[in-house]
Amino acid sequence: MKKRQMYFRMITASLLRRRSRMIVALLSVAIGAAILSGLVTIYIDVPRQMGAQFRNYGANMIFTPADGSFTSEDITNGASYIDSKDIVGVTPYRYESVRIHELPVMAAGTDMEQVKLTSPYWSVEGGYPTGSGQLLLGASLAEKFRLGVGDEVTVSYTPEFKDRGSDETVLDNTADMKVEGILETGGPEEDYVYLRMSDLEELTGISGKTDLAELSISAKSDKLKEYAEKISSSVPAVSARLVKRVTESESTVLTKLQALVLLVTVIVLALTMICVATTMTAVVAERRREIGLRKAIGASNSGIIKEFMGEGMLLGAVGGIIGSVLGFVFAQQISINVFSSSISFMPLLVPITILVSVAVTGISCLLPVRSATQIEPALVLKGE
Amino acid sequence: MSLLELKGIYKIYGDLHALDDVNMKVEKGEWLSIMGPSGSGKSTMMNIIGCMDKPSKGEVLLDGVDISKESPKNLTAIRRDKIGLIFQQFHLVNYLTAIENVMLAQYYHSVPDEKEALEALDRVGLADRAKHLPSQLSGGEQQRVCVARALINYPEIILADEPTGNLDDANEKIVVDLFHKLHNEGTTLIVVTHDPEVAEVAQRTVWLRNGKLHKETVNENFTGEIRFDKN
Amino acid sequence: MFFRMISGTLFRQWKKMLMIAFTIALGASLATAMLSVMLDVGDKVNQELKTYGANITVMPKESSVLSSLYEVEGESSAGAYLREDELGKIKTIFWAFNIVDYAPFVNTTAKLDDGTEVTAVGTWFNHHMELPTGEQLDAGVTSMRNWWSIVDGKWLDEQSSDSGHVAMVGAALAQKLGIKSGDRLHISGKEQDADLEVVGIFDAGGDEDDKIFMPVDTAQAIGDLEGKIDSIEVSAITTPENELAIKAAKDPKSLTIAQYETWYCTAYASSICYQIQEVITDSVASPVRQVADSEGAILEKTELLMTLITILSLIGAALGICNLVTASVMERSAEIGLMKAIGAQNAAVSGLVLTEIIITAIIGGTVGFFAGWGFAQIIGHTVFGSAISMRPVVIPIVVVLVLIVTLLGCIPAIRLLLKLRPAEVLHGK
Repeated sequence: MKKRQMYFRMITASLLRRRSRMIVALLSVAIGAAILSGLVTIYIDVPRQMGAQFRNYGANMIFTPADGSFTSEDITNGASYIDSKDIVGVTPYRYESVRIHELPVMAAGTDMEQVKLTSPYWSVEGGYPTGSGQLLLGASLAEKFRLGVGDEVTVSYTPEFKDRGSDETVLDNTADMKVEGILETGGPEEDYVYLRMSDLEELTGISGKTDLAELSISAKSDKLKEYAEKISSSVPAVSARLVKRVTESESTVLTKLQALVLLVTVIVLALTMICVATTMTAVVAERRREIGLRKAIGASNSGIIKEFMGEGMLLGAVGGIIGSVLGFVFAQQISINVFSSSISFMPLLVPITILVSVAVTGISCLLPVRSATQIEPALVLKGE
Repeated sequence: MSLLELKGIYKIYGDLHALDDVNMKVEKGEWLSIMGPSGSGKSTMMNIIGCMDKPSKGEVLLDGVDISKESPKNLTAIRRDKIGLIFQQFHLVNYLTAIENVMLAQYYHSVPDEKEALEALDRVGLADRAKHLPSQLSGGEQQRVCVARALINYPEIILADEPTGNLDDANEKIVVDLFHKLHNEGTTLIVVTHDPEVAEVAQRTVWLRNGKLHKETVNENFTGEIRFDKN
Repeated sequence: MFFRMISGTLFRQWKKMLMIAFTIALGASLATAMLSVMLDVGDKVNQELKTYGANITVMPKESSVLSSLYEVEGESSAGAYLREDELGKIKTIFWAFNIVDYAPFVNTTAKLDDGTEVTAVGTWFNHHMELPTGEQLDAGVTSMRNWWSIVDGKWLDEQSSDSGHVAMVGAALAQKLGIKSGDRLHISGKEQDADLEVVGIFDAGGDEDDKIFMPVDTAQAIGDLEGKIDSIEVSAITTPENELAIKAAKDPKSLTIAQYETWYCTAYASSICYQIQEVITDSVASPVRQVADSEGAILEKTELLMTLITILSLIGAALGICNLVTASVMERSAEIGLMKAIGAQNAAVSGLVLTEIIITAIIGGTVGFFAGWGFAQIIGHTVFGSAISMRPVVIPIVVVLVLIVTLLGCIPAIRLLLKLRPAEVLHGK
């Protein structure tokens, strides 16, 4: 039998046959490793996950026409410069002055599906329009006109190309529509009436025109600035601007949150590592008599250190592997519970976790083993 | 030349003279008992012979080499190569099987050899218990594993400290029996004990009192025969 | 004798006991720090989220002020206004402490010399208030619009002497008209004219870039709106809404008395709105959904995240302590075997071990508590730039946790000790 074989046989025997003690140590290492990999995963993932939460604030970029108006192609063109996985939603808006009950009202034509994405904070009583002939009425207008969900309303529009000054009777375009929902935002949107883009185009008889587009993009403010500059310079029809209130605030809050998680991670990790180290120290200290015996039957100090380190590091490696798995499961659970989305597995974290666990257990074995080897075997063996 | 020679050995702890001018010779192949009451210096002497301690003064010649001045590292090497130790409390590594405990000594000495280790266990009559853990063996069996471990590297001297102190009569007989066998095979045995029954089967007994050699008796009836044969 | 034995262990085995105390201290400090941060993180993040600006707007009742959205002009229907003299009352409501900032707005149109029609907005910049409580507050857009970047010049300082004749101009308007800071503008309103010095050009990244901002008095004079206010924006620290708050927001009268009290005494956006309506005549206060909802979601997520991390680290700390206590008690099997051999009963042995460990735990726990408090302050100052306030509830939680964990750690060890047969231990098996 080779010497190396005996070496492995010894350290595995020590780990396997001293099961209850080793499980204690292994548990401690595994928990440490789980905390390491779990917290680091969360730390790395927090900006992404929290960023998604911040999209609740709605659009953080606005496309306005560089001159006059632009078309939906211009918007698509502009949006194509943004990484498609970063885009939460792109909502075009077209504003026209219409009349309800002969009073002038601002109407906005938009894409109702995208609105839900770019303005998730909208609170709608009833529902969003899904078919033609339906509209979403701002809450203050609803109160003004005493309209509720399900009421019928006539919307009229005076075509612009008619000369208002002439005596000719101007015939308005009219459409009978149903109030599908009442919009509450606590903001100026409550004074608008929202129509599906196709309905507004039909009402006005003009299509393909867009006044504005709101974009919700999950990216940090630096990247957003980059996008805005690139789009403004590459697509002449579009001028891209950031909604400063949202982007600036988001980056401050996110930075602080990430700093918080980082600091917590560092403190928790440091304390966990110390816990692992004290446990390993206690586990080794328990075996002073065995160390004495090994010395008595002829082991050199370096040989003993090598064996205990090997044992500790094997323990660290196994603990690290278990911990990586536990840590990922744990981070996944947190992510699902907190953000209701799963996290991506970071393969690089596994070797790092294992290396750190091996290093920590190795170092925390080294010190007590070294001091134990300084003891005269005769003293220990006499039963002290 | 004697295998082991102590010349004017002192071991002094403060005011206490644990060993006080001890002179002694042990010949190759000899079976020697060291006897004495508690505190007489038996253990100190055993530690010095076993290379686990150094005298305050004097020379310890093992195979003609003075080991009293060696560094701890060299002492470890000498102990590994020339001395087999047997303890009162057995001191087996509790998570290694009987054969692995024997191989441990080989491992530190040179290269572990499972076949040879099994032969050693066979010599102490434990070949069939090779795969058992110490906790599964009786006290006598554990001590026999210790004997196997002590002799596996063919040491010059087997040094036993109260080898029967924790054993009942039956097991004591088995171990003493083994010593006879080893002696017949030419092994040098030094047995530290305070049990007269164990001491008197040796060829020669030295008596320690207050750190000094008090008296020495030679067993005239010593025949080298095995008196209790269990096998 | 019992105490002599205990003090004997504590003093003579101080190294081992120190290690246990140290580990317990670590665990306790971890628990203290995490719990303190967890309990305070809501308030802290809420403060941070205040950078999103107001979460409550107050408007006159029965008005439909069609303010403009983006560049689109709306029509201002005159008639309903809030009263300027009632502004101070906002800081007297039940949840006054939670109102961190607010500013009134009065809008009017005015003409510049070249005939350009502009929107003039009167507001507070850093309006100084001395409250009846003795508290002092600087409220206004300087803090509520902290995302504005000043392109040229500086923020308008209301507290300086010539505050009656100064204004800030939006970047878009300034660019269109070529206005720089330091320029003088002559603007004519309905009744009065005013000469204003431009102290700063701001970039708000929104429709405010086309407006001129000035102190309230100036705008009121131009628009002939003395004592009148169009709207008030309020920035308040609120509790995320729950079902009760939603029910109350629809109609506070639908609540039972007990529910009403709970609701009124909780800092929901809706209850703060309700209280503002009580003090401002003919007003409608409503939460700004964009801000209020998002804040709620982010707060909830952050708190949940911290709670889970806290639980995890507590489990980690608990296992660490358990492990060490188990290991170190087992180490003493020989000593305990001896005690049993000389006639100690199981109860006596367990009592001795437990007392020692608990004394150690109390010492370690106390040290750890203060260390953890220190950690929490480090986190507070590093991340949020302010101290973490210590909730009294942390203390009992940490005490109970440390005791339970320590005792749990003793159980396997004590069970083992009770099974020990003295003879075996003493013979070194």
